[in-house]
Amino acid sequence: MSKLIATSAIRGAHSLYNRAEAAYNAALAAKGADEPVSFPDTAYYLPVAYALLAIKVKTLGDIKPVLAKAKSMLPEIPAEGAWLPYLGNTLDSGIAALLSEEIIEAMKYVMGPNPVEGIWLGATDDVIVRTQGIKLVDGSMPGFAAVVGAAPTTEEAVKLATELRERNILLFMAGETDGKTMADQLNEAGVEMGWDVYLVPFGRDISAAVYALGVAARAAMTFGGITPAGMKEAREILMYNKNRVFAFVIALGDVDDEKYATAAGAINFGFPVIANTDIPQILPTGITTYEHVVSNVPLDKIVDTAVEVRGIKIKITKIPIPVSFGSAFEGERIRKEAMFVEFGGQKSPAFEYLRMRDMDDIDNGKIEVIGPEIDQMEEGKAYPLGILIEVAGRKMQSDFEPVLERQLHHLVNGAEGIWHMGQRDMNWMRISKSAHDKGFKIEHFGEILKAKLMDDFPAIVDKIQIKLYTDADKMKDVLEEARAAFIARDERVAGLIDESVDTFYSCTLCQSFAPNHVCVISPERLGLCGAYNWLDAKAAHEINPTGANQPIIKGETIDERRGQWSGVNELVRAKSNNSVQKVNAYSIMEDPETSCGCFECVVAILPIANGVMVVNREHTGETPVGMKFSSLAGSVGGGAQTPGFLGVGRQYITSGKFIAAEGGFKRIVWMPKELKEALAGQLKKRSEALGLPDFVDMIADETIGTTEEEVMEYMAKVGHPALEMDSLLG
Amino acid sequence: MALTGIDIFKQLPKTNCGDCGVPTCLAFAMKIAAGQAELAGCPHLSEDAASALSEASAPPIRAVTIGVGEDAVKVGGELVLYRHEKTFFNPCVFAAVIDDGMDAATIDGLLKQTNESRFVRVEQDLKAGLVGVKSLSGDTAKFTALIEKVKAATTQPMVLMCGDPAAIEAGLKAAGETSPLIYAATADNYEAMAALALEHKAPLAVCGTGDLDALVELVKKIMAAGVKDIVLDPGTRNPKDTLERLVYIRRAALNKKVKELGFPTIVFPNEETEDKMMEAVYAGLYVGKYGSVIMLSDLNAARALPLYVLRQNIYTDPQRPMQVKPGIYPIGNPTADSPVLITSNFSLTYFIVSGEVEGSRVPAWLCVMDTEGLSVMTSWAAGKFVPEKIVPFIKGVGIEEKVKHRKLVIPGYLATMSGELEDELEGWNVEVGPREAADIPPFLKSWAS
Amino acid sequence: MEVKETYNGKIREATIGLGDTAVTVGGETSLPLYMFEGTAPNKPVIALEVYDTKPEDWPEAAVAPYADVLDDPVKWALKCQDEYKADMICLNLASTNPSTGDRTGADIAPIVKAVSDAIKIPLIVYGTANADKDAEVMPKAAEACQGKRALIGPVEEENYKTVAAAALGFDHLAAPHSPIDVNIAKQLNILITQLGLAPERVIIDPTTGALGYGLEYCYSVMERLRLAAMTQNDSMTQMPMINQIGREVWKAKEVKTPEADEPAWGDAETRGVLWEALTATALIMAGSNILVMRHPKAVELTRQFVAALTG
Repeated sequence: MSKLIATSAIRGAHSLYNRAEAAYNAALAAKGADEPVSFPDTAYYLPVAYALLAIKVKTLGDIKPVLAKAKSMLPEIPAEGAWLPYLGNTLDSGIAALLSEEIIEAMKYVMGPNPVEGIWLGATDDVIVRTQGIKLVDGSMPGFAAVVGAAPTTEEAVKLATELRERNILLFMAGETDGKTMADQLNEAGVEMGWDVYLVPFGRDISAAVYALGVAARAAMTFGGITPAGMKEAREILMYNKNRVFAFVIALGDVDDEKYATAAGAINFGFPVIANTDIPQILPTGITTYEHVVSNVPLDKIVDTAVEVRGIKIKITKIPIPVSFGSAFEGERIRKEAMFVEFGGQKSPAFEYLRMRDMDDIDNGKIEVIGPEIDQMEEGKAYPLGILIEVAGRKMQSDFEPVLERQLHHLVNGAEGIWHMGQRDMNWMRISKSAHDKGFKIEHFGEILKAKLMDDFPAIVDKIQIKLYTDADKMKDVLEEARAAFIARDERVAGLIDESVDTFYSCTLCQSFAPNHVCVISPERLGLCGAYNWLDAKAAHEINPTGANQPIIKGETIDERRGQWSGVNELVRAKSNNSVQKVNAYSIMEDPETSCGCFECVVAILPIANGVMVVNREHTGETPVGMKFSSLAGSVGGGAQTPGFLGVGRQYITSGKFIAAEGGFKRIVWMPKELKEALAGQLKKRSEALGLPDFVDMIADETIGTTEEEVMEYMAKVGHPALEMDSLLG
Repeated sequence: MALTGIDIFKQLPKTNCGDCGVPTCLAFAMKIAAGQAELAGCPHLSEDAASALSEASAPPIRAVTIGVGEDAVKVGGELVLYRHEKTFFNPCVFAAVIDDGMDAATIDGLLKQTNESRFVRVEQDLKAGLVGVKSLSGDTAKFTALIEKVKAATTQPMVLMCGDPAAIEAGLKAAGETSPLIYAATADNYEAMAALALEHKAPLAVCGTGDLDALVELVKKIMAAGVKDIVLDPGTRNPKDTLERLVYIRRAALNKKVKELGFPTIVFPNEETEDKMMEAVYAGLYVGKYGSVIMLSDLNAARALPLYVLRQNIYTDPQRPMQVKPGIYPIGNPTADSPVLITSNFSLTYFIVSGEVEGSRVPAWLCVMDTEGLSVMTSWAAGKFVPEKIVPFIKGVGIEEKVKHRKLVIPGYLATMSGELEDELEGWNVEVGPREAADIPPFLKSWAS
Repeated sequence: MEVKETYNGKIREATIGLGDTAVTVGGETSLPLYMFEGTAPNKPVIALEVYDTKPEDWPEAAVAPYADVLDDPVKWALKCQDEYKADMICLNLASTNPSTGDRTGADIAPIVKAVSDAIKIPLIVYGTANADKDAEVMPKAAEACQGKRALIGPVEEENYKTVAAAALGFDHLAAPHSPIDVNIAKQLNILITQLGLAPERVIIDPTTGALGYGLEYCYSVMERLRLAAMTQNDSMTQMPMINQIGREVWKAKEVKTPEADEPAWGDAETRGVLWEALTATALIMAGSNILVMRHPKAVELTRQFVAALTG
């Protein structure tokens, strides 16, 4: 912390204290100690004093201990050139300043002039705190700004007010610069003010700024359920504000001592100060969530800076595009005749790629079309389109890139008259004639993605910028980088093994119909529905920490071969309502995992053939185990452990951990032809990795037989390795 | 701990001979494990294996059959305390009690109710199940006359109610070999009653005194006499005590394997209150909490229907939802211009959607597709409510002959397939309806205007 | 016989209203109605429904008890309180439904205030479960009855921040509403308590299915919540529960159809009353603490049932 600020703040606090003491003594002399003192319509007395000191001021006499406390917190004004341990002292002086300011304002209610006069609103009643507080809690009002001083010009004042209002940020005004206040400026410009329009002029005096902290303190008491009692509660009230009330101070014009002191008070609440003048900065984070004081910010950047420094999330309620948006349009198709232009689909180069950047590298909200816009495109033709989405977030991880990128399909399809399929550099999009007629442009892809990614993933996306390349040459480099990234991602996924992580994830999405079922999702065993792999579950947990995907610390290894860990057992026990005591992640015979009902495939043992068969959901015919998929599903599903049977996702079949306890992949003796073909590449790769290049051909299918006997005949003929393996039944 | 399919399989011949009607031994084992097949189905089972398995696979609560032929009812056989754990298997049955002190008109009225109290709901035939015939007078002749009258009037199996073994003996003869439920053996008459039950192959109710330990002792003796099919009356006659006993009986059978309590139960709400509405409310308690045979004073339709529906709800398999018949359901006299909606045949979906359509007062055609009883989203996810299934259904169900227009409203949650469906469903326009049923009325109103 | 269970969990007590007429629910130490294994210091209570506008589609049997007050929510509420001895009033803001009345929060605030000022017994105020609309309406409704410690619902996953904040800000209780799903019910409770609402101010609305219309789903979900609360001591399932029974029951086909149309179904009033009473009692068996009901005769049967089973 700058010594300059510290010294000013301390001086300011002394000055405010002296004013408070003088006003108090005058009131006491005129009215006596029993004179009632209150702000109108509040059950919180003088709210700052009540919140921080637990003192219920009802009469003039009750103010005495408040003044005494303020005085006790006033540090010595440091001598010129003396070193001083600043932060604690400065913060204390801030509290002393707020307590003093509250007394100054309260004395106005006792002695006059009434703070409510002309444009000035004075103290805030409880109903308004509650009504506005709801908006703060639910996020429809992302935060509030307390402006002290005046803007350089009336126009700039109006512009600042408009910018804040556009973001639904409540603006409190108090204090003047050179005899002028921001509220005066708005008034001159004919701007209507009041709570309804989010512009609240408290008072001309800097001491009126304390009303903003009074609102903050009451928000904490009302919505945080904190009843003042002492230091602990006072700290809770301050912490509530730091963590939940996204407020900040905008200091306009010269910052005098009393303003510094007030700002120091606000910092106690975790509210940072943004100034348009060149005052010393305090950047290291600590008391406030991020920076404390950021100075010399041009007026037109002040709102963005404030929003960023305070970490405020603005809700986008309507996407600014000329066509409707909603899930009802997701399934629309656009036929060739109805199409205006298309992108990708082998007809033109196209890609979609989302990557993570550093916070500072992103110009938040910027959408850039690089190349021709739609008005330079001809009907019926295909054009290049590269979509590069860059996001940053304090909780963003590169592993979440593909998770967010996959959202693109569903998001773009939500726009009426826009169609999307595929992914990565194999995507395909169309804009319909009707969407084009309504004015849909290339940049609107950016608007959709910006709005939805920010809105749907606030936990991980803090900032976003989007580049839309419609010029094939200019997108070359990015496309190359994207392709390299796709390969790197695939390698990362392929390289992830269960042993390389200490955390798995649970999935209990299906408990609505399988009450005791828990999926344990590990890098090598995706959810049995096939929809959630380990990375997805990890991201889902980050996005929704109370949701269906919870981290499982593996804990102690109980059985390495069968895949049993203490942490997994504990979690499964708890989440299965105590009905499953232990699970072996890699076994089908002994304490296998349960299955809900959504599995893509069922693995069943063929005990006489000493192997297993796999049947996928789409296969409706007979199988060698003597049950069709539907009756197998009935036996396996519902969340009970069923030795000999396992519901799995398709990708698990070729995982290195596929029923590893029973010998793994080499146990497979039968699967439907369709499934074999769908997984041909992976099956081949896995066979080769096991040193059995011809293994896939040893797996029987329905064209070879649908009885265990036929399968055994075939196995004997081809020399299937399962014949030589240990008996499945032990 | 129930046996797994693998445990059972190990005892089977492992020949996949198919003589049991199931292609493989493992599949047969899985059926036994699920309670869908009996061990006796395997003709090649070794004696050792049979005894090893039957001991372990015997259900903790015996399923008891009352009556013979088509109208016989099976009660008990339950495996769980809470229906969500698996399901309640054999629906409880109701019986109106007719006694020999009633005048002829009352008796005729009750017999008429017994025969006519039938409702069809979600493809299920709802009825009482039994009829109670009670000797109030103690006069054997009057009792047998009444039994003969009931037997002539209805095919519903009887509960013969009298504490005197001699009267029961006469009653059993009058009833013919119809396996009625004998009510009841007590500590005083159990030897004679047990002998009658064995002789006439009739299940026997055992009436306790409220003391479950005493009931266990009594049942032990009756079992020792060779009676297998037993129904338990805890002997209490107020709902608070009865509930407690029924909970303890079910728990003892399932959790503690108390064999003497591993039987279905019989309860008497008709004797627990004079008020017929309260009687129905108490009957409802026993539908949910472990009553198997529930005795009523009558089967008045306005009280019976809600009880039957409650039983239907409670005894639905939570993992196998109730289904309605696929087809076209006209709601409110629709015309050739009325809207056409499609939904799944999950009964709850159907009920809610049809209710909202009805509530909108816009006549409409509701096409209900066979989704195997799955709800809209689940069936879509399972590939049962997708264009390739919808197209043949719409083309084949006959809706094209009923309406002039070609506009099909699909559930809002299926918006993602609207385009694909429109491509494949030739000649039709696909419209996306609301996601929630509650929004159907405004949707239809604006559709119609 | 050693089959008595001991439970390690307990349902929280929640108090609605203030002063002498406040009603406390919850506090059970066993599964519902299992008086032989625990205590239930507070019996299930019954709230009678009042609507902010005259209902148009009620069957005759449901209209009859209220025929003289249906167009005046205040008189209606007083009749429920004074004549039918309701434990609470549930004011349904049906006219705010966007597809029917679409009235705003400002429109209904005076009604909420009038009803809340007129009655002595505790108030429940319910929106239409339209998440966006309720987010606009319920803060106004909560403000209109501030100081009464009412129960505000339904709080949906999509609007919990706003509606629960309204309950929090105006010092009421909140009823999170989950779609027949144990995990969503728990999750919503976690979210709401994280927002700052004490767990003692939360009443679970698990979604109510009427007899024949999804009752079994509701029954099992509630039973599961209660089992988790009692046997696993799962804190986020230990709140009391509320069921909206009247409005679900009285739209069922078997309840609305007059005897003239279906003679085989018997007297319509008897049928409707029992339909409602059986729905209510089944849900008490599953763990309901607050039953929002319509017909006074069904209320009477439910009360007798509670008295007989817990007395």
